[in-house]
Amino acid sequence: MTTDNSNIDPITLSVMWSGLVSIADDMGTALRRTAFSEAVREGDDFSTGLFDRKGRLIAQGNLSVGHIGAMPYAVQHVLAHFPMDSFRPGDCIILNDSFLGSGHYPDIYMTSPVFVDDDLVGFAVNSAHHVDMGGAVPGSQIVTGVSEAFQEGLRILPIRIIKEGEIQEDVLRLILGNVRLPEIVKGDLLAQRNTNAVGVQRFSKMVRDYGIELVDAAIEAILDRSEARMRELLSAIPDGVYQNEDFMDDAGVGTEPIRFKVTVTVDGDRVKVDFAGSSEQVARGLNSYINYTRAYAVFAIKVFTDPHLPHNEGVIRVVDISAPEGSFFNPTFPAPSSGRAVLQVRIFETICGALASVVPSRAMAGFSHWSNPIIGGQDAHTGKSFICYDIIMGGYGARDGHDGQEALCPVFNGSNIPVEVQESNSPIRVRRLEFIQDSGGAGKFRGGCGVRKDLEVYASSATASLLGDRHKFQPKGLFGGDPGALARTVLNPDGEAEELESKEVKQLREGDVLSIQLSGGGGLGDPKERDPAAVREDVADGFVSALAAKERYGVDMGED
Amino acid sequence: MIEEFPIYRVCAQTLLFTRSAGQATAGGLLHGTAQPMLRVAIDTGGTFTDFVFQNLESGRMDFWKTLSTPEQPEQAVLRGLNHLTGGLGASLSDVREILLATTVATNAIIERKGAPTGLVTTAGFRDVLIIGRQKRHDQYDLFLEKPKPLVQRRNIVEVRERVDFTGKVLEQLDMDSVDAAIGALLDKGVTSIAVSLLHAYANPLHERAIGEHLRSRAPGISISLSSDVSPKYREYERTSTTTANAYIKPLVARYINSLQEVFAKQGFAGKLYAMQSNGGLITPELAKEYPIRLIESGPSAGVLMCSIVGKREGFSEVLTFDMGGTTAKVGAMEGGEPAITPTIEVDGVNLRKYSGLPLNIPAIELIEIGAGGGSIASLLMGLIRVGPESAGAVPGPICYGKGGERATLTDANLVLGYLDPHSFAGGSMRLDVEGAREGIRKQIAEPLGLSLRDAAWGIHAVANATMERAMRSMSMDRGRDPRQYAMVAFGGAGPLHASLLARALGVPRVIIPWGAGVGSAIGLLEADQKFSVSQTSIQRIVPENAGAIAAIFRELEARIRKEVTQVETAPNLEWRRFAYLRYAGQGYEINIDLPPGEIGPNYVEQAISTFHEAYKGTYGYSQTDNQIEATDWYLTAVVPTGASNAGGGPSANGAPSGQPKQRPVYFHEHGDYIDCPVLDRYAARAGDRINGPAVVEDRESTIVILPGDVAEVRPDGHLIVNTGELP
Repeated sequence: MTTDNSNIDPITLSVMWSGLVSIADDMGTALRRTAFSEAVREGDDFSTGLFDRKGRLIAQGNLSVGHIGAMPYAVQHVLAHFPMDSFRPGDCIILNDSFLGSGHYPDIYMTSPVFVDDDLVGFAVNSAHHVDMGGAVPGSQIVTGVSEAFQEGLRILPIRIIKEGEIQEDVLRLILGNVRLPEIVKGDLLAQRNTNAVGVQRFSKMVRDYGIELVDAAIEAILDRSEARMRELLSAIPDGVYQNEDFMDDAGVGTEPIRFKVTVTVDGDRVKVDFAGSSEQVARGLNSYINYTRAYAVFAIKVFTDPHLPHNEGVIRVVDISAPEGSFFNPTFPAPSSGRAVLQVRIFETICGALASVVPSRAMAGFSHWSNPIIGGQDAHTGKSFICYDIIMGGYGARDGHDGQEALCPVFNGSNIPVEVQESNSPIRVRRLEFIQDSGGAGKFRGGCGVRKDLEVYASSATASLLGDRHKFQPKGLFGGDPGALARTVLNPDGEAEELESKEVKQLREGDVLSIQLSGGGGLGDPKERDPAAVREDVADGFVSALAAKERYGVDMGED
Repeated sequence: MIEEFPIYRVCAQTLLFTRSAGQATAGGLLHGTAQPMLRVAIDTGGTFTDFVFQNLESGRMDFWKTLSTPEQPEQAVLRGLNHLTGGLGASLSDVREILLATTVATNAIIERKGAPTGLVTTAGFRDVLIIGRQKRHDQYDLFLEKPKPLVQRRNIVEVRERVDFTGKVLEQLDMDSVDAAIGALLDKGVTSIAVSLLHAYANPLHERAIGEHLRSRAPGISISLSSDVSPKYREYERTSTTTANAYIKPLVARYINSLQEVFAKQGFAGKLYAMQSNGGLITPELAKEYPIRLIESGPSAGVLMCSIVGKREGFSEVLTFDMGGTTAKVGAMEGGEPAITPTIEVDGVNLRKYSGLPLNIPAIELIEIGAGGGSIASLLMGLIRVGPESAGAVPGPICYGKGGERATLTDANLVLGYLDPHSFAGGSMRLDVEGAREGIRKQIAEPLGLSLRDAAWGIHAVANATMERAMRSMSMDRGRDPRQYAMVAFGGAGPLHASLLARALGVPRVIIPWGAGVGSAIGLLEADQKFSVSQTSIQRIVPENAGAIAAIFRELEARIRKEVTQVETAPNLEWRRFAYLRYAGQGYEINIDLPPGEIGPNYVEQAISTFHEAYKGTYGYSQTDNQIEATDWYLTAVVPTGASNAGGGPSANGAPSGQPKQRPVYFHEHGDYIDCPVLDRYAARAGDRINGPAVVEDRESTIVILPGDVAEVRPDGHLIVNTGELP
């Protein structure tokens, strides 16, 4: 399948390709190791990529899907604003606009041109989730209580924050004057600059070593081959129009459920994913700007074709993502969107559900939804502001031949934040971190369990911005499997318990305990067909109770 | 059933002398000395167990290799001892020291063959170990499996207690809950128990109380406390380390006990030491207590060998390159000291981060990549890939003729003429050249429309590119300029690939040590006893904190002194201090060497400026207006063993062996096969110069010298290749 459009030999091409990927990976290492925000250094909520001199994505690091998926479009917007001949060595352009970037303000993209002598040869780019970008709540992620993007924080259109290696101090002051933890934001901006410096240095050396003509030819060949491979894989999926529908709880307190409607059209070697029929854009901080929609839709298609296909422009060419303008999946500015992280799992899941019947071997039941609460405020004991960004993640839906994995990051691929790190940095005490028994959907293959995390606040006052879902609509089962149990969020579960909604903003007092209880993953196949030995193992390990073993699986444990 | 295995004996001097005209074969290893003058180094690896027998008086070293016996590793060790008594005419009473490196600990984890283990943890945190850090090691693979925990959930029990991150007790340990929890574990038949409570690094009180309780209630049980094994923060990583220690503790204890017994029976009255992952030796008692420290002990010993060879040849800045059948490992050292990393992963998938079990143990820093002789070549989108899948020893490369059907790097090296089908592994294996050609032709050449020759070269070049990435990451990305370094290459395949790798990175000199094929065992002879302890204590680095910092080091010193009491003689200790520092608020630290001396405000000021410089060296800039904080504190004490006289081979005094052989070998510089001289390493004499292109063979490895390069034979038998101009 050598569809060469160049004379480049496969050996040189193999070596260069591996070199490009390693540059993107090494940029990722640099950012993780020098960043200050917990989202970046512990949660891997960032990404790195290399672009050619035409602005096309050629290689990416093994990092956050949402960031990397939106990155090609963010770079196009930078290039639309800055003509190619306006770049100088040492420049860094940043943006965080929701439409131009990855859909909410905390994610800042930084783009740096790569020069060899006087020639622009490409771009090194990274993005990072910053601890705060100002706006209504600490952490700048809020669903309930905002109606337009201006309330969500500081919006940065493409600006040159570093000019030929010199930081524009005025610009920096403007940014730092609008955020809650300016020292951390500054540290992370410097870490981002340094990350691009690593990419610039390595990429320019590669161009010097091989010559720009050869690098160009290699890039064309890589993109063409990626595209050809993607087309080949898509051809293997039966042609047809496949639909699915699901709902999110709401767009915050007092709002209607949000409809996720997707139509996947497979036509020969192309695929179209359309979100027509989904909800209109909402006046709450939850909309999915088109770059974000694209990022996760392309991800889903890749999972259904070949997960190990390189992620680059060639692959993106074949996948057509659309949503009506003004709808939830393609909102127009100033639609607020800061809490959009909570929906990404569901873009994947909805597409997955549409393709389940055609490619059953790759289908997965619904995930245990995740939760991304942010608790911030003043710690009266130390007099300091704090922002505690948390990521709570449960199990996977079951798939053909396998139970859902327990406690693995769904789709976006971050890490959790260690309790001991969290408690050392914030006036937070974690009371529990554990699986919820019987929460995984029963099935021939069982869904992964939900996870419960209880956080106690010992600051005098704090605001919790909740960002969860699946309080109202269960994660779906597949092919006769049960859905996962619903999620709950409870204030003070051991005292005067108060049920909270999934996207509330809640004032907390000292001693309050916030209990996040995730939904379970969906099961697959008839529970009665489950191997009784597997049920017994689950009971021995406490994932399933003896009662559920009897009622759902028909396995009698011989206990009362 | 062990089939007839190829034992081959490599007695360096014997071989040299027998090849020297007119000289008699050297006699036995001993020359009738009264004192026990032998040291024996044993490296139990995945495929082979390597031995070096060293005579301290004469400096003579004998090498010996036998197939490993993974089910009962002591069997292979016994064979080595038989060789010592039978082949070399010595006995164990002549042995002063036995030094061990072993994969026993690693294999027990990888194969999940450890003891039934229980875990005791803080109420509410039962699932920390199973939840892990939750990141997929492969972003686009939603179908991957998490690593299987060493302890089943049913064997994880909770006790009521709570400590905060400063060590303050928030809730007293409830002994009733301890009693119930331990009772439940004992009922389930566990034989080893790990205790890992939240924030135990900051206050070990509750863990110790549980340990006491266990000792009195179940005296036979094996106990591992997280505050002893790994008093560092991040609960998952600490619990993983402690659990792994508990999991392998009974098994490693049994292994060491059985060796001690066998050795004693054969009259051994000397000392036994085991190698740790940090490059230092420990006593058998400590090895049994903290077996987790033995993980990766073999590769660490190899790096030590590089250090010593580098020093002898006048290089203190050294890159190490160890390539075997399955993986390649690259490392670095500055000032002759290997870099130490605080954490490693064991049992990973394709060596990807997050795919294995994290262990907080100080280890010689190595990047391990899936590029070894057995790495399989495949095609992806018309591009050649080599590894990370490996054919291993079974079925092995096609050319081994043991059923391997997929083309590997070794097959390519054979086709290119770098390997001799008749003399591989000392001639004990005949390689199937036709099979290798056929495999590469069908699997790589034809689909790509390449000639067989170009396809084989492609596999070789791509494998090299993979190693180049690793080496680049170890050098340039960590602030090391490869042009200032020498590369020491060892392992079966290292000497073959080293020169090309060195050229790609601009490394001017490659050293191929004498005995490169048993490099790790040689390294054991060079190791010192090393005691390392660490502690997490988050402290701002400001002069006012000098008192607190001094107190941490006093505490660490007390811990080492306690371990040292297990060594009979009062040794001279050399102390080294380290701290892991970062800008306050960051999540990753840099390891900073702290000088000896009294810790006062000036001392702290000095540490601050050292950190700013080190940060700049690593990341290209520093943030001098930011506060600095420390997370982890390390204290190391070394017992110097004195010059062991190891590492140097025999004086190279072979005789010219007439006309060298020739065979067709591919060199990319010529774009084709050329008639290439093939030299016998044992015939080389000190001072000989070998002009590339050339191939130099010894029984364990093949050295490829590229066109334009010049190699020199050194007095100790090491070969130094001066790489030519960059391509």
